[in-house]
Amino acid sequence: MYGVIHRILLNERIAEEVLQDVFIKIWDKIDSYDATKGKLFTWMLNIARNQAIDKTRSREISKEKKTKGIDLHVNRIDRSEYVEQKIEGIGVHEVLKSLPEEQRFVVEHLYFKGYTQSELADESGIPLGTVKTRLRAAMQQLRIVVGTS
Amino acid sequence: MNIEEYISSGVLEAYAAGILSDLERKEVEDTLVQYPALRTELLAIEQSQEKFLQKVAITPHGSVKEKLFASLDNRDAGAKSIPLATHTNNSLIWKYAVAASLSLAVVTSYLAYSYRERWITSVISLNNLIAQNQQIAQDYNVVNNRINQIEKDVQVLNDPSFQRVVMAGTANAPEAKAFVYWNEESKEVYLSLQSMRELSQENQYQLWAIVDGKPVDAGVFDSNLAGLLKMKDIGKGAGAFAVTIEPRGGKTSPTLETMQVVGTVVKG
Repeated sequence: MYGVIHRILLNERIAEEVLQDVFIKIWDKIDSYDATKGKLFTWMLNIARNQAIDKTRSREISKEKKTKGIDLHVNRIDRSEYVEQKIEGIGVHEVLKSLPEEQRFVVEHLYFKGYTQSELADESGIPLGTVKTRLRAAMQQLRIVVGTS
Repeated sequence: MNIEEYISSGVLEAYAAGILSDLERKEVEDTLVQYPALRTELLAIEQSQEKFLQKVAITPHGSVKEKLFASLDNRDAGAKSIPLATHTNNSLIWKYAVAASLSLAVVTSYLAYSYRERWITSVISLNNLIAQNQQIAQDYNVVNNRINQIEKDVQVLNDPSFQRVVMAGTANAPEAKAFVYWNEESKEVYLSLQSMRELSQENQYQLWAIVDGKPVDAGVFDSNLAGLLKMKDIGKGAGAFAVTIEPRGGKTSPTLETMQVVGTVVKG
C-alpha cells in the first residue's frame, strides 16, 4: 500500500503522512467494510489510493506530474527516489518489463500515478473500453509473472 | 448478459483497481450480486492484483509504524478514556459499596451479639426482680394480715364491752399466764397467751368456761398462738375460765389434773 501511495505522491515525507492517515481511516472505517464488495486488501487499497489522490489534488501537484513523459517518470521512480525499493523489493519496471508497452503504460498510470480510467482516456486518447481491456490483458500477464498460487 | 463478455471487458480489473467512476462501480457491485460466477473471477483478479502490488511494495521507514501506533494509541486514549475512567469509577464504587456492606455487616453482627448478651442479662435480672417482687408482695400480705389482725385485736382490747379475765398459772405451771377477753352481750371470746409452754404434737390446750359451776368447752388451741384468737361463744353466766391440756381435738369434759391456768371473771 505504501508502494502505491509513494508512487502516486512521489514524496517520501508526504507518503508517510498519507500512509498514516490511511491506516487511521481504515481503523475508523473498518465497520463499514463489506465483504461482498471485494477482498479486504482491495478495500484498503482503494482507501489508500483515494487518500493519495486527494493529497495530490489538495497540493495541486498532480497536473504537472501527470503530463510528464512516462519513461522519464518511471526512470525517476526507479532510480532517484526509491532507494529502499532497490534493497527491499523488485522494481515496478522489472515486473512490468514483460508487458507490451501499451499495457505497461495503462498499469503505470492507473496504479502508480493515480489516474482514473476516464482521466487516462481523456489524456491519452485511448478509448475507455480499450483502457479496460488493456488493463485486463496486463493483469492476466502479471498473474503469470507474479504467480497465482 | 453474457458473463464471458462482461469479464473480458476488463471492467472487473478496473473495479479492483478502483479506477472506475462512482456510477460504474455501483453497476459492478449490483452485477456482482446478480451473478455469483463473477465473484470467483473478481476474487482471482484481486488475488493477482494483491500479489503484483506486494511484489512491487515499498517498505516504509520503521518510524512510520511507531508514529502510526502512537497516533492510534492517542486516538484510543482519547476515545476510550472516558468509558475506561467510568469503568474504573464504577468498579471503585462497587468496591466501596462492598467494603461498606461488609463493615456494616460486621458492626451489625457485633451489635446483635452484644445486645443479645444484654438482653439475656436483662431477662435474668427481670426474673429475679419479679421473684423478689412476689416475695415482697407475699411478705406485705403477711404483714398486712398481721396488721389487720392486730387492728382487730386492738379493737377488741379497746372495746369497753369486753372484760379481761387474767388466768394465772396453777401449781402445774406457775410461770404460765393467759388472758381471755369476753363480751357477755355478744358472747364473743378472745384468747391471748402471755406465756404457755410448748406441747407435743398429740396434745392441745383446751379452753373451758365455768358457767354455773359447770365447765363448758370454748375451743382448742396450740401453744404457738400469737395475738388474739377467737374462741367459741360463751353466753352469760360464766364465772371463770381455765385451760387444760387434752389430747389433740379436745374432749367434752376437762381433765382437771392438767389445768395450766385459771382465772375468775371479775364482775364490775
